[in-house]
Amino acid sequence: MKQIFTLFTLSAFLVLASCSHKVSRIDPAETPDINGSWNNTDSRLTAEAMINQSMTDKWLSEYVQAKGKKPVVIVGMVTNKSHEHIEAETFMADLEKSFITTSKVGLVQSGKKREEMRSEKADQQTNATVSTMKKFGLEKGADYILQGSINSIVDSYKRKKTVTYQINLELTDIQTNEVVWIGDKKIAKYVKN
Amino acid sequence: MKKVLLSLSIIVAGYAANAQDLAPDQNPNYKVSMEKYQALPAIQTSMNTTVQDTYKAYDWSTAKAERKAERRNFRRERALFNSYNNSWNNNNWNNGWNNNNYNNGWNNNRWNNNWSPFFFRW
Repeated sequence: MKQIFTLFTLSAFLVLASCSHKVSRIDPAETPDINGSWNNTDSRLTAEAMINQSMTDKWLSEYVQAKGKKPVVIVGMVTNKSHEHIEAETFMADLEKSFITTSKVGLVQSGKKREEMRSEKADQQTNATVSTMKKFGLEKGADYILQGSINSIVDSYKRKKTVTYQINLELTDIQTNEVVWIGDKKIAKYVKN
Repeated sequence: MKKVLLSLSIIVAGYAANAQDLAPDQNPNYKVSMEKYQALPAIQTSMNTTVQDTYKAYDWSTAKAERKAERRNFRRERALFNSYNNSWNNNNWNNGWNNNNYNNGWNNNRWNNNWSPFFFRW
């Protein structure tokens, strides 16, 4: 009887242990690599590199010197041509944040958010009081557009794999189409399964 | 003469008005391009987004796992297919005269089923 009880307790413990599910919070700055795919660390490294390059490059000082004001940037499309699903918004948002916090670069809204604002403005034309109604045609025009691409190269054999990501961001003068800045970040990984 | 002078003055005034619209060094044909792009559907809604144009990279271990899964699926489908077709007289059990588990040369259920071109009908 005692043996049966011990066996039952042991088996119950094993069943419960196998079903255990544990979740713990980790520091976003130290996301561990699980399977070698694009992760938070890659996004953070890209953002840091792009912020550093864009803020220290001569395009900014040259513009301020020539025009006497800070440039206004609009964010365009980023094309992911790599082998993984990557959302560029994670590092682009960090870059946009740095534009605003440093007050060196002006930023105007783009894409669906801009459409939403125009829709709200249109709504105000008939619903808001005249004194608080916002007018059309007073938006700030951007001087530069920020566009980018993500590419990757994969080389694998049996359990070994190397993956190289290349992220490029380009800043182009909207008036003249002149590319004034190209930022790049390369991330290479060696994965052994 | 008066009419000629009037029309000439209108033409000159028109050119002058057009020249006033142009910025220094601006292409006088800018309106051709402007009208072309204004007529195109707006793509601005896709701004500030990531366009996913990904490719499938060859990975040895992934390819191996995929081959394995493909084989498993094929075997499962084949088993289902055979079990369905064996319900008539090609069953896996000994029916006394036509055991199909062994190649009997003319009634092997892999080939002699309803979908086989070699199906033998009684």
